[in-house]
Amino acid sequence: MAVEMSMPILVVDDYKTMVRIIKNLLKQIGFENVDEASDGTEAFEKMKKQKYGLVISDWNMEPMTGYELLQKVRADESVKSTPFIMVTAESKTENVIAAKKAGVNNYIVKPFNAGTLKAKMAAVLGEF
Amino acid sequence: MPAAEVAARVRESLASLKASDLQDAQVMEVLKLAQQLTDTMQMFFGSLDRSIHQEFCYIADYISKTRDEISKLRPNDIREQRIPVAGAELEAVVTDTEKATEAIMAEAEGLMGTEPTDLDAYKAQVDEAMMRIIESCSFQDLSGQRVSKVVDSLRHVEKRVSRFAATMGVDDAEADEDEIAEAERKKKLHLNGPALGGPETQQDAVDEIIKNDLDQNAIDALFD
Repeated sequence: MAVEMSMPILVVDDYKTMVRIIKNLLKQIGFENVDEASDGTEAFEKMKKQKYGLVISDWNMEPMTGYELLQKVRADESVKSTPFIMVTAESKTENVIAAKKAGVNNYIVKPFNAGTLKAKMAAVLGEF
Repeated sequence: MPAAEVAARVRESLASLKASDLQDAQVMEVLKLAQQLTDTMQMFFGSLDRSIHQEFCYIADYISKTRDEISKLRPNDIREQRIPVAGAELEAVVTDTEKATEAIMAEAEGLMGTEPTDLDAYKAQVDEAMMRIIESCSFQDLSGQRVSKVVDSLRHVEKRVSRFAATMGVDDAEADEDEIAEAERKKKLHLNGPALGGPETQQDAVDEIIKNDLDQNAIDALFD
């Protein structure tokens, strides 16, 4: 099934500049319908109100981390099928394994570029 | 009254009694015993006095030494100067970095949003934007100097605290409850922070973990 380029994407990061960078990269790739949240709590509230085609989340945020958000999303019937990509500076093998066990669809280590983001999105959503 | 003085007075009293030419043998025997008891007590209390005196001298020396070491630690200088200045420098680094990032992002977004109809005008716009981006990068020099000052302050504090700990023979106490709780939370949520010198697991290795099914053997192999 073709990827709907107008689908809403939720970017979750407590660092405004990183949100801006990801939004610009998504715009370059062709996705312009991008919403943002500054931590897991805000992101989950938004996810309960609106269906997103993809969540791109940082790991290290307060009060709710991206890892906790991932666990919460996968445990909630109404949003559990939402594709979830972790974009983080947490690069220990234990982090990647923990995220995979929690149900992450892909994992990008910071710093990254548009090519990596596009490739991981394609791996999760299908080619676009 | 010191033990030696008490003993001297008792001895005087005994000598006085003896000199009174008492004829009673039993009384003389009692006086003899009293004399021996007094000598024994003097030795006992004398040693007790010296021991207590030595203890107090040791405690006084230790307090004096501790005061000297705390003074050399210069805690007021650390609290009122070193730490606040280091904090202010780091805040300035963050502010400078944010300003530079904002400027660079704005220039890049401006160019990305431009539709180049007139190529000469577009080239001039790109040149100007590039120059402003290059100018914005000058924050790195200032930030480098600020970070060096912070590192100097940390080394200064480390040197003084290490010297104090070594001189006083201080061992590390257990972490308090808040610190233990925070460490446990970080461990549970895998909050390790960025690795020094780049990602600890490169993207290729991450991709391998993500695409493969992980049984326990596969996980164990990743840590070998």
